[in-house]
Amino acid sequence: MIPRFAHRRPRSLADAFAAFDAAGGDCAWYAGGTELLAVMKMGFAQFGTLIDLKSVPELGGISADADGALRIGATVTHREIERSPHVLRHLPGLAALEREVANIRVRNTGTLGGNLAFAEPHSDPATFLLACDARVELAGPAGAREMAIDELIVGPLTTSREADELLVAIRVPAPAAGEGRAYAKLAFFERPAASVGVRVRVVDGAIADATVAVGSLTDLPIVLPAAGAALAGLPAEPAALDAGLGAAIAVLGEIDAIPDHNGSADYKRHLAGILLGRAVTQAVEEARAHA
Amino acid sequence: MRETVEISLQVNERAQSLRIEPRETLADVLRDRLGLTGTKVSCDAQVCGACTVLVDGRTVSACTFLAVDADGGAVRTVEGLARDGVLTPLQQAFIDEAAFQCGFCTPGMLMAATALLEENPHPTEDEVKEGLDGNLCRCTGYAPIVAAVLRAAEAGR
Repeated sequence: MIPRFAHRRPRSLADAFAAFDAAGGDCAWYAGGTELLAVMKMGFAQFGTLIDLKSVPELGGISADADGALRIGATVTHREIERSPHVLRHLPGLAALEREVANIRVRNTGTLGGNLAFAEPHSDPATFLLACDARVELAGPAGAREMAIDELIVGPLTTSREADELLVAIRVPAPAAGEGRAYAKLAFFERPAASVGVRVRVVDGAIADATVAVGSLTDLPIVLPAAGAALAGLPAEPAALDAGLGAAIAVLGEIDAIPDHNGSADYKRHLAGILLGRAVTQAVEEARAHA
Repeated sequence: MRETVEISLQVNERAQSLRIEPRETLADVLRDRLGLTGTKVSCDAQVCGACTVLVDGRTVSACTFLAVDADGGAVRTVEGLARDGVLTPLQQAFIDEAAFQCGFCTPGMLMAATALLEENPHPTEDEVKEGLDGNLCRCTGYAPIVAAVLRAAEAGR
């Protein structure tokens, strides 16, 4: 059974901070509960008060600007993201990723903000959003700030968020001309065994620059600048791409992967190499469509 | 501190008002307070789907969904499917296709498939499999369940 707690449902950000204050810090922000209630049930966490953020309007909604930059409220559910016309149009890789998160019940209740704030090392969105140079907006009683995904997630289940701060929104930049972004994973269970997010920019038929992020191998999602550099210069043609991926795959082969119930370190590195090829191919296709 | 809260919700179209603890899950409230034991709890971790119910038309895992979050909402459980002893086409199709053996997953399968068919009345076989991905059955091997959902969709045509 879930340990006893009091429940508060603020209707504004100001009320949420007031509820935090009233609880004397012995509290947790709560939205979908797909992670939080699970760890409370297992006895790993206990709080005097849960502060339900689902009725705080400042934390909801998805919007896009004219260029296609997205702003996704922290309490938007995975299911809302996978169906959002804005996301489907401007960042189809995220909609596709969200369609494959856990199962439909988790997607109906779990939120993007909660996923990032929980910082599970196998998070799907964290890995892809890292490759997309997404930024998160935080707010606290002391004011607002924003940061990159790798500034937010600093360890397994660990973020740089202050206890009294909360995630407000996630911002994903508009794709540049010739840019494509894609994500590939393999999952045997609810969370991926390995996952790769890729951003490429194609200029004159070749990859001009790229970002490669890898999730589920180490205790947090990581960007591998050397892998991105190894993709630069490759021709944006499927057959030639496959032949030229060796150097980037070799970079992934050096990752100090953590063996887990999904497989050995060697196996997970192998998976990451395969997934890199799939993600690059998809990203290049999208980039050519944006050229 | 033992806090209780008053919630009001519709359960299978009947109004219910209850005083509960915030920590009580929807599965707890349905089973232990309302006697609706058709909703089964198996994995207790949102993985198996046995406890699937609909809240405002969306499927949720009742085992990890706080009942306070259903306050003001409409909950549907397997007990709400048949009317006056008349099974829904989906329930009848489960019988006709022998889509259960032990039956423990069946209430969750029925609710997941009900949500699927309400949203997409004529799904393809792949769409049925996708819609039921995350509802586990250890007896049937799934084929009769998928066949039953397709049969129900056909019957509703």
